[in-house]
Amino acid sequence: MSAAAQFSAILRKDLTRELRTREVLVSVFLFVMLSLVIFHYAFASAESDLTFFTGGMLWVTFLFGALLGLNRSFAQEKDEGCLDGLLLCPVDRVTIFLAKTAANLVLLLAIQVVAVPVFTLFFVERSYLGDLPLLAGVVLLADLGICALGTLLATISMNSRARDLLLPVLFLPLIVPLLIAATSATTAVFTGDTGLGDLGVRLVFLVAFDAVFLVAAYGTYDFAIGE
Amino acid sequence: MQASQARLDGAAGGAAGGGRLLGAPALFVYAGAALAAGLLLAFWYAPVDASSMGFSQKIFYYHVPIAWAALVAFGVAFVSGILYLRSPDLRYDRLGLVGVRLGLLFSLLVMGTGMIWGKVAWGAWWAWEPRLTTFLIACLLYAGYFVLRSMVDEEARRATYAAVFAIIAFVDVPITFFATRFLPEGLHPVVIRAGEAGMEGSMLLSLLVSVLGMSLLLAGLIRLEYAAERLGDEIADLKDRLGEVGL
Repeated sequence: MSAAAQFSAILRKDLTRELRTREVLVSVFLFVMLSLVIFHYAFASAESDLTFFTGGMLWVTFLFGALLGLNRSFAQEKDEGCLDGLLLCPVDRVTIFLAKTAANLVLLLAIQVVAVPVFTLFFVERSYLGDLPLLAGVVLLADLGICALGTLLATISMNSRARDLLLPVLFLPLIVPLLIAATSATTAVFTGDTGLGDLGVRLVFLVAFDAVFLVAAYGTYDFAIGE
Repeated sequence: MQASQARLDGAAGGAAGGGRLLGAPALFVYAGAALAAGLLLAFWYAPVDASSMGFSQKIFYYHVPIAWAALVAFGVAFVSGILYLRSPDLRYDRLGLVGVRLGLLFSLLVMGTGMIWGKVAWGAWWAWEPRLTTFLIACLLYAGYFVLRSMVDEEARRATYAAVFAIIAFVDVPITFFATRFLPEGLHPVVIRAGEAGMEGSMLLSLLVSVLGMSLLLAGLIRLEYAAERLGDEIADLKDRLGEVGL
């Protein structure tokens, strides 16, 4: 079996399992929607303009939603003994990492495809259809970073006691630079401040962040997932 | 038992440094001399800063070397992380633990001295200035290192995870520093950057002497802490064996 076939087999397994149970999709989606409502009541007053906080609100929501999903992505594998089976297969560990990252990415994107329009309806006054490709680029790049780093850290924390406590403690400080870039780039799109200078720097930064942590995860995943 | 006793004595001797030129006590003496010289140079040789910072700039002869030592300590953890993954030897794990612990300690001191200076320069104890913020995030990041260690029971696995995390964390710190510059600077002036034009030779010399002193202090602390960790492991090992023979 080639690495590509192994990759798609693991990815298909993860997505099939998720489509049958819909555990992560439904609960994370609900979490995201609830966060938006809570943000509204936490920040809104009669004359407040939330436009300049939109990027931050969106990414805080996605970050915490992704954390929920990442925790689950290995919990079942570990509890049901599926991971042992996976490790016994003659599969390169890096292939497992890439497939798991891709599965998490697909789930996160599936949630965002619905959540971003709802968010726009709730909080964004400007029509940004012309800048939609820019927003899609920001979201894709940020998601890739979140899922790559998150999958690596979820692998580490699943083997600890109290794994759902450990993951945020490790994940959140590491993801701060990505959050900064994604937040300001998204706010720029929502407010129409899309001069290419600043936004371009942030996009390049996101590409660099993804590349650095994909390489770092590539080099260390063997050790993270264990024997 | 006698062999263990001899080993313990040896380890204790290692901790004390045994009068060697590079033992922990000797390093502390050198560090003390260099740091004292650095302070004397800072106050009596280097001129008072000509820009708006004036006398308060003197704290930089202390603040910058501490920041340097913090980064070096995290670097030690990074390198020992790589070495551990290449050949799983618990000595590297111990060195990594010591590096992170001292790096965290020095980072807290960086923030402390930075805040004192900020109070004088900006009139506020805290400002979201890129350097200060980077050290805050580094502190939170490396605090997670200890949470991680405490939550993994098996020794080899704990060491592996700690090594992986120390590597990733060290890669993240410069990225964080870069990213914090995306944020608006707000009302506060940008700190004058050491090494930029305007730093006089006498200032640079004073700073370098302090950097040398702080590096020596860090080296001494690493030796001492490392020896203490090794003794701790040895004691735990002996206790286990005493338990096995039912004593």
